[in-house]
Amino acid sequence: METFTGLILIFIGAALINNFVLHYFVGICPFLGVSRRTSTAFGMGCAVTFVISIAALLSWTLTHFVLRPEAPLPRWVWEIAGGNPATHVDLSVLSYIVYIFVIASSVQFVEMYVRKFFPPLYKSFGVYLPLITTNCAILFACLEIMKHLQDPTNLWGLHEAITLAVGGGVGFTIAISLMAGIREDLDLCDVPGPLRGAGIALIVAGIMAMAFMGFTGVDKGIQSALGIGF
Amino acid sequence: MAQEQPTALERFVNGILPENPVYRQLLGMCPVLAVTNGMKPAMTMAGATAFVLISANIIVSLIRHLLKPHLRILVFTLTIATFVTIADRFLAAYVYEMSKQLGPYVPLIIVNCLIISRCEICSSKQGVGVAIADGVGMALGFALALASIATVREILGSGTWFGLRVMPGVWPNWGIMVLPPGAFLTLGLLLGIAEWVSRRRSERAKSSQ
Amino acid sequence: MGERQEKRDYLAQAWLVIVLALLYGGALATVQTALSGRIAENKRNETYNVIPDLVPGADKARTAEVVVVGGNGKEVRVYRAFSPDGTPCGWVLPSSGQGFADRIELLVGLDAPCSVITGVYILDQKETPGLGDYITGEDFRDRFRAKPTAEPLVVVKTDPRTETEIRVLTGATISSESVSGIVNAAVRNLKGPLLGLIESQVSPAPETRGVETPSSSGGS
Repeated sequence: METFTGLILIFIGAALINNFVLHYFVGICPFLGVSRRTSTAFGMGCAVTFVISIAALLSWTLTHFVLRPEAPLPRWVWEIAGGNPATHVDLSVLSYIVYIFVIASSVQFVEMYVRKFFPPLYKSFGVYLPLITTNCAILFACLEIMKHLQDPTNLWGLHEAITLAVGGGVGFTIAISLMAGIREDLDLCDVPGPLRGAGIALIVAGIMAMAFMGFTGVDKGIQSALGIGF
Repeated sequence: MAQEQPTALERFVNGILPENPVYRQLLGMCPVLAVTNGMKPAMTMAGATAFVLISANIIVSLIRHLLKPHLRILVFTLTIATFVTIADRFLAAYVYEMSKQLGPYVPLIIVNCLIISRCEICSSKQGVGVAIADGVGMALGFALALASIATVREILGSGTWFGLRVMPGVWPNWGIMVLPPGAFLTLGLLLGIAEWVSRRRSERAKSSQ
Repeated sequence: MGERQEKRDYLAQAWLVIVLALLYGGALATVQTALSGRIAENKRNETYNVIPDLVPGADKARTAEVVVVGGNGKEVRVYRAFSPDGTPCGWVLPSSGQGFADRIELLVGLDAPCSVITGVYILDQKETPGLGDYITGEDFRDRFRAKPTAEPLVVVKTDPRTETEIRVLTGATISSESVSGIVNAAVRNLKGPLLGLIESQVSPAPETRGVETPSSSGGS
């Protein structure tokens, strides 16, 4: 039961309380660029969620078994090769390179999948689908998972990593869809010249971020209500 | 017929204001919003980005004749990721507190569209000298953008600049400025001002002809 | 003919990527070996530099790291502080928990018999700037000094009337309660095992930093 509430808290944390876009500032480029129409925005959100989940799965596996300090695989290879057992085995310096390739592969995979099974959606995405590779949100999710795989006494399992990733993707989708809805209405308003486009979008994002700040403390409240401790 | 390409000086000057990475190209927003709650983290981030940008430009320019269309993005990404790892390790070794404060935003330099776009547009096509000038110009422009936003946010939000008190004691710190909404609002308004300035300038140029 | 040319092109490009990968790998390995010592030192110093402040009279260089099994069954690495002449003068316990906005990580200092809290130091927090983040200030941290560990601490809005009461930080009730809750949790979890450790060990202070594992765990 406690694992399940833990997962719920991770999910709500990533989706609402510490929303990837409005709290951590990742995924801003598509957030500003693809949020003109609600349908494309929602589609982009779903694609990002898909990619983030696959990337999280791959990066958790690679980090847990290869890339963290004193990971099992390098340690095993080192001992088989007859190395000194006292040396500290640490491949974490390769983490960032591995993550970016994992992300590029995930995007490639999703692109092939969407092209095969949803051709009209693929066409409407155009160039934005490969651009998901430079979406900070996915790399950020991988980095968060890496952060929780550093302390050997408290390692995150695959379920927690995937929950974080899906929660982040859902939060991104919520934010981008809300922004698209607001911008559709903004198109009919008389926005001052210099602010049209990115300027007013950022100001609206600021107000949205203020609204989402209202979620602060919700996870603490849930924990207190359920009586689960620190 | 060879197309005329900008000279080193033109690249350098372009990067600072006319094609400013943040205000004109709208690239690299993530660090701009995230680390500008104070001048110190902002300038550290500017330094790290400058290191990665200039180094990547140099390497890509050196191997530009070996690059083929299919694998060039792969090579760019590999190069950038390597330099970002180096920068991240140096920060952790020599300015540990700041490295902790910047947190995940230093590795996020890898996906900063600015660097990949400079590799693509400039250093994969021109010599090392021009590439360096382009890198330095863009880095300066980026630092300028970071500084402008960080100044507003830090002075209004904490009453300090680089950690030194500049506001009178009676100033009630606008806490919102150092929180996410303040970042969005500041950038949005400053973008509006930058756009207004550039429109005035082009109107004046048009009317004077 | 065109196909063979294409294959040769791909091969040429693959060579480039492999050579670059080797070069970059070498560069990263060099950077790693050169800097990893410094980085580990920085991480360690984060805690070690604060120990003299948390436990009065402690010599930072004579601190020992001890792995104990807490009451909840999990292993925790605590720090045993020694004064310059080698007598044990206290303990520093790391602890963390949910604050108002995000996780709070802190260190609790206890005296040698684990009966009094000698100080609290916040390592990491993301509370509201201007309100909750004053938990890192001297004023709030001082409220924990000299508090007994026999009973859990309680946060009150008035001036403390009993020994176990702590005055709340104005405008940051939840942050204050979180900190006291995390401190209480650390004491509750580790006091028993540490007392068991003290009883079973009569060993002198190490000359330099070292890691010892207890000969008998005092967990419940």
